Amino acid sequence: MKPPLFLFHHVTKRFGDRVLLNIDEFAVCAGVCTLISGDNGAGKTTLLKIVSGLVKPDSAKVHVNDAEMSWAKARAKIQRKVVYLHQDPYMLDTSVERNVAYGLRLHKEPRTSIYERVAEALRWARLDHLAHRNARSLSGGEKQRVALTRARIVNPSVLALDEPTTNMDHQSRISTYQLIDELRNEGMAILVASHDQTGFTPIVDHHSQLVGGKLIAVETAFRRGRGTKITRFPG
Amino acid sequence: MESLTDASLKALSLLVSGDAELWAIISISFGVSLQAILYTTPFALLTAYALAHFEFPGRRTLVSLFHTLLAVPAVVVGLTLYLILSRSGPFGDLKLLFTQTAMVLGQMALSFPILVAMGHSALQSADQRVWETAHTLGATPVRAMFTVMHEVRYGLFAAVIAAFGRIIAEVGCSMMVGGNILNYTRNITTAIALETSKGQFAQGIALGIVLLVLALVLNYSLSTLRHRLAMQA
Repeated sequence: MKPPLFLFHHVTKRFGDRVLLNIDEFAVCAGVCTLISGDNGAGKTTLLKIVSGLVKPDSAKVHVNDAEMSWAKARAKIQRKVVYLHQDPYMLDTSVERNVAYGLRLHKEPRTSIYERVAEALRWARLDHLAHRNARSLSGGEKQRVALTRARIVNPSVLALDEPTTNMDHQSRISTYQLIDELRNEGMAILVASHDQTGFTPIVDHHSQLVGGKLIAVETAFRRGRGTKITRFPG
Repeated sequence: MESLTDASLKALSLLVSGDAELWAIISISFGVSLQAILYTTPFALLTAYALAHFEFPGRRTLVSLFHTLLAVPAVVVGLTLYLILSRSGPFGDLKLLFTQTAMVLGQMALSFPILVAMGHSALQSADQRVWETAHTLGATPVRAMFTVMHEVRYGLFAAVIAAFGRIIAEVGCSMMVGGNILNYTRNITTAIALETSKGQFAQGIALGIVLLVLALVLNYSLSTLRHRLAMQA
């Protein structure tokens, strides 16, 4: 097994007197999909945001590139490799095409190359027919797919997804599972915080439950063969 | 003294005939106020962003201070600037008193708190997810700031329009530090005050019409922006 991209040690986060997270070890590995489940308020979102470099933990060590450092020192490295997706992804007040292009425009790529890549990415997510629509006018499922495409195009090593299938109808959930599975098969590390354990079972490699601030490994019910095209997902 | 009807008819003819003195006054007014807004807006919006985005000691006090400064009368700003720029003042050597530069400085001081207070409200209402989304997709803090500003652009435009409306219509500060010199520092409001005191109402009414039309345009723009804001929410 390949060494983890990031290995987080002793992650703690308090809100007032309440210890929200007290995690001994959490590994993020390439090509592996990890499901984090837990009750509402268990700290799933906070954990994902810490792992994405968006929320500062009270303490945490990160093992990256054979070196151990504090979370603060590792933050820039983390942010370069991890993209976090909100439960209800924020759509910039512009077209779908420009939303997807956002990450590429930050890196001053030539305009023609940006829009070629955007067009390819929209075809991948079967969103090409919506390219010129304002992203705010899309349905929840379509927004989630735009957000996944917008994340994929910047080639992150890790994708942290917060409740990606909440409030979606059956068909949108299946499209989302398929896109996530394809990203995992491309070698991306996927972290999913979700209540939807059944739906993710076919694509999950590791399942941990967040209880009382600790991560407890849950036996993965099912691990399918790598590269097999998924055609059926449980409801 | 001429009747109101005569004065109004004369005012319209002055406007339509392109009276040189009248249009010089109007162009000075717009020139000074546009310069003031142009120079103030970047600093004020950066201040507003810092107040909305960063936690630091004294932040709340600063926000309250800017809200208090909204109520400072233009004559008080004019008096302060007069004392600073007058010959015996600390910047007397710059010889800025009774110049357009002094008027621009006065209007900058008047517009700054409006831009900060309204800009702060707009930026504070920005969704936290905008900053997080920009950041996680690789934006630098500066680029993330511009993305947040772009998302609340209608609120920021509204701040700029409100500030412009306030400074183009103020009289106290321009009168004190500009000195109401014809073809140099005489703007719409100081000209109205002077002409009225002379009993010459035609030019005053003509300039009043310009200010009223401007107020109408600015208010219409503001209500359009508010409508867009409501649609955005």
